[in-house]
Amino acid sequence: MLETDLAEKFAAYAEAHLPGARNARVDSIHRIHGGASRQTYSIDLAFEDATGPKVKGLILRRDPPDSLIDTERRVEFAAIQSAYGQRDLPVPEALFLETDPSALGAPFFVMGRIESGEPLNPFRIDTVEPHRAAIGEQFFRHLGSIAALPVEGSALAAETETPAADQCWRRELAYWANEIRENALAPQPVAEAAIRHLERNPPPPAQRLSIVHGDYRTGNYLQDGEGTMTAILDWEMAHIGDPYEDLAWATDLLWCGNDEERAAGLLPWPEAIAVWQKASGCTFDPVAFEWWSLFAHVKALGIWVTSEKAFAKGDNDDPILAWSGWFTHSAHELMLAMRLGPKYGAGA
Amino acid sequence: MSNIGMILDRIGRKLVTEVAPKLEGDYSGGHAAMSGLMSVMAGEAWDNAADRLVNEIAGLRGLLALGGKTVTIEESPSLKISDLTVERDALARDLIALQKSLEAREDDEAKDLNAKVWMHLMATAIARMPSPPDFPDADE
Repeated sequence: MLETDLAEKFAAYAEAHLPGARNARVDSIHRIHGGASRQTYSIDLAFEDATGPKVKGLILRRDPPDSLIDTERRVEFAAIQSAYGQRDLPVPEALFLETDPSALGAPFFVMGRIESGEPLNPFRIDTVEPHRAAIGEQFFRHLGSIAALPVEGSALAAETETPAADQCWRRELAYWANEIRENALAPQPVAEAAIRHLERNPPPPAQRLSIVHGDYRTGNYLQDGEGTMTAILDWEMAHIGDPYEDLAWATDLLWCGNDEERAAGLLPWPEAIAVWQKASGCTFDPVAFEWWSLFAHVKALGIWVTSEKAFAKGDNDDPILAWSGWFTHSAHELMLAMRLGPKYGAGA
Repeated sequence: MSNIGMILDRIGRKLVTEVAPKLEGDYSGGHAAMSGLMSVMAGEAWDNAADRLVNEIAGLRGLLALGGKTVTIEESPSLKISDLTVERDALARDLIALQKSLEAREDDEAKDLNAKVWMHLMATAIARMPSPPDFPDADE
């Protein structure tokens, strides 16, 4: 669908769904790069209502033919609803969810646009200076706040299953092991060995059941260049589970330029953990963290092999999928091999 | 011109430093930059792909032999990357089975061989890791 066609259809849809709106039109629309899991558009919607003419900034997230992550948009929508307006979390307002593909050619949802901030490139994290410490404090405080959000009664709990505290790890590992086995185009001896290692050495039960963002990391938030995180984005892998999953994913070495001194490349580890503990109410457990940190590499491999398959099959020709299937896959395979090999006597 | 690695490297650098900046603000700008990065990486990978695969295959056959496995997988009919990849993948499937059987044993022989399997996996992962290209001019 051309962007002009998309704009016309979107204006008609918005007019029908915004209470009291009339004469709606799209003043501008442009696609935002990097959202390979959904086609993401920034839209200025002009319309009139009882209070007069106005322009509203919106973000449209439409399903592509294939994506990095095969998830339901209703889960992402529910996760955003669950976090919006809670504990100072910078989360956009969830506005419309449309699962009928006839409106815009594919299911979609619409959020309010947060008007300030740019994503930080995880491969160039030094560009955050001189605000590294300020962003780091907010990064871990918001991560802890997400972990502390109420699960019961949340919109996300209505859309997804809530596992038992001692089954979070098993469910996630089974899901991502299956993704790897279903989608890998070549045998994965490192991933398979890692899956077996994690099965043999399970983590302690979750200290609490939490909303897990699922992809909380540098690259998936906006910051204004003046030391403020302005938005937490990309909730498509959200679920209910162990908050250590998010902590381990957020601090995976891939997202922090291989900075081992600072958690997520942002804060010295003791400070980061202290901020997260205070906001989440959890107590840091190095045994649990080790398991979830290794699991993060496996989960990443699951995403990367799925990306590679989508690109190879021609379902989605976005080059980011080829990059994921090659560079980031190699990086996580290397991390896993170098961490697990010594546990089995290699290189000792 | 027959230096494919050099061609891919130069095409990639042109995409990143000249084409992508002209497309800034357009969705295709991101595609051009990413394609350029991977073109440079492909140039490097093209040069060492056969060597890497031959080394992986030799390592895999050696480990399977140490594990007492009768390997029925035929040697690649050529040094084409596609043929070598088929042979490597078949051997890798056997390695997964071998390692799983080693993990089920408690004896020192099994532990020693499993350590060798891990050394192979570590060396393979290091060899497969592409170097991220550096483009100092692209930021100017």
